[in-house]
Amino acid sequence: MFLWQYLTPLLLTTVLICTAQECHEFTDLSLSHAIIGTSLRVRLLLYTREISTCAALLSHTNLTAHPQFKMSRPTTFIIHGYRPTGSPPVWVNEIRELLLDRKDMNVVVVDWNRGATNVNYLKAVENTHKAAGNLTAFIKRMQDHGASLNDIHMIGVSLGAHISGFIGANLNGQVGRITALDPAGPMFTSLPPEGRLDPTDAQFVDVLHTDIDALGFRETLGHIDFYANGGTDQPGCPRTIFSGQSYFKCDHQRSALLFMDTVNRTCDSRGFPCSSYSKFLDGDCMDCGQFGDAGCPVFGYDVTQWKDVLLKLNQTKTYFTTNAQSPFCMTQYRVEVMIWNKEVRWGYLTIKLHGNGTEAVAVIDHKASEFRRYTDTRLLAQFNKDIQPVKKVSLKFSIGNALKPKHKLRILRIRLTHVVRKERPLCRYDVLLEENKEITFNPIPCGESNF
Amino acid sequence: MEIKMDTMRADEYDAARFSSNEREAADVEAHRSPDATETDQFLSEPAFNGNGGHTSGQRNRGNNDIGHREGAVCRVKKELCQNVFHGVRLWMIIVIILLIIAALIILSLFVCAAIHEDVDEKFDSSLFKVPRYFNGSFRLPNFVFTEELLTPSSNKRQALAAELQNKLNDLYRSSPALGRYFSKADIQAFRSGSVMADYTLLFHLPEEELGQLRNFTLSWEMVFNVFRQFLYDQESAESGPMYIDPDSLQMYSRH
Repeated sequence: MFLWQYLTPLLLTTVLICTAQECHEFTDLSLSHAIIGTSLRVRLLLYTREISTCAALLSHTNLTAHPQFKMSRPTTFIIHGYRPTGSPPVWVNEIRELLLDRKDMNVVVVDWNRGATNVNYLKAVENTHKAAGNLTAFIKRMQDHGASLNDIHMIGVSLGAHISGFIGANLNGQVGRITALDPAGPMFTSLPPEGRLDPTDAQFVDVLHTDIDALGFRETLGHIDFYANGGTDQPGCPRTIFSGQSYFKCDHQRSALLFMDTVNRTCDSRGFPCSSYSKFLDGDCMDCGQFGDAGCPVFGYDVTQWKDVLLKLNQTKTYFTTNAQSPFCMTQYRVEVMIWNKEVRWGYLTIKLHGNGTEAVAVIDHKASEFRRYTDTRLLAQFNKDIQPVKKVSLKFSIGNALKPKHKLRILRIRLTHVVRKERPLCRYDVLLEENKEITFNPIPCGESNF
Repeated sequence: MEIKMDTMRADEYDAARFSSNEREAADVEAHRSPDATETDQFLSEPAFNGNGGHTSGQRNRGNNDIGHREGAVCRVKKELCQNVFHGVRLWMIIVIILLIIAALIILSLFVCAAIHEDVDEKFDSSLFKVPRYFNGSFRLPNFVFTEELLTPSSNKRQALAAELQNKLNDLYRSSPALGRYFSKADIQAFRSGSVMADYTLLFHLPEEELGQLRNFTLSWEMVFNVFRQFLYDQESAESGPMYIDPDSLQMYSRH
């Protein structure tokens, strides 16, 4: 009996090792492959909760060969983009782990590294159509085995986003969802909808833009388009070419990191519908009334909660800002300031919220704010974290010009309203702000207002 | 690059002048002896006298331009190094003038900043004639009520009233927005309920901008909330007898 206690697990492991299939890895190529060029080869790596660390290489034709590939489960395809150096994408392992943690599903990592690795970007673009044809055939075969297109979600990064679009179009837009993470811009920007991803490619298409000024796509492509930090320069990414290759890919790659943060529900970033980023920064787009009680759509994996209302709106362009690292989400407050200075004042406000032994900072410096006597100046303050409850508030006013005389901002009332949480706004009355001098006070719940 | 081109053009022009007028050239030569030979050679050049091949003329002109450019640099250098008087050179004077100009600009900026008047700090309180009253009540939950507080002449009542009045006077006088308009605060009566205190606040407003002041700076909302936030700030004294319950504050404006 005693012996069996030890023998059983030992025997079991031996059996497992013998029966277990070989683990397949994402194709790892080198720069030399990129220089010579590679021809397209699409490998499908299956991960499920049973084989979450050891991928099975799916056969394109014989789906029954893999007992773990259950058609009753939803299937998520992860499709990467252009690989100029041939290395596997850094995010690919983490994203499939997070997806499997989240839901019992088939995660199919589409490895078309042979085909995407080429110094000639145009060749990789050519291969997107071929890869899409290949995957369309595979999904049709899945349908033959009982899979429903409704349960198929394709997450496409860069060129992969357009591949998802092509597959979706081949399947008459019946695919459940396409998530496009910074869809590629070069060679696609001026193309008609057939030549790129568009909202008709799936039942629901959600898009994130992080690099519209370089590698990404500038215009809207989905039912909802999120522009993180305006879609251009991502915080924490190098601004000069001296930082090496991360200068080129940091903004673009950030899209995958932002999405992964939402799969494991680190925190919520709400996308605010707006016509331009500058209007959003001005605080003109904080109205989420059209989405009812749910509020503005939360970017990421769970945006499907807003699917119905977004489909009715056809196409929605939204903005949000992020921190330089995870947790990426920021906390928005609407700030209203009324002054009694006789003259108009221009300047920048820095606001700090204190509570629970930590502090959150927001600097409103995208442009100089105008403060006018007896008029509410409405600003959007974006804090790096959410403080609850707020015990103290610090304010600092600066003109940003050392040569100008020291002006004071004579505040009658400052009101801080949390944009998402429905709670009573915080107020402070009669504050004298000297330039570059921080003032800290206890905010009080705002009373009724007549002005 | 453009500057170079300019000097070259100027040299060509000079050269043309020398060739047409030898006397002038000689005058200039007196100033710059080092390149005198080059100029001589230039003058003898047939291309500039109207005859001779075009190509050879251009080639030669190119050669001579270099000489002239050097010449011009030397001339400027020499002129800059000229003695204006006893050891003071021209370049020193130019540098000093530039420094003075820069110093004046910086100084004027500082003076402007220093003499800048804050228009919001200037006011004439003799013009503040229109009275504006607020009255209301608040509660001192920790103060024990006695009958004595109802008699106006009693010491206890007077002491408490004086203390509360000082509190209100200090509060409104130190207010950046309201201070200049504030006249006085009065505690008028005490009532039971631990102790309820009735107060009156008096402000004086100028005729000018009366409407705006009433609606904003001296609105009920401002006067009330300046008091209210003051009460929220008195954290440390929460158990003391002079603690005022912020939620008990009532205020009405009287017209």
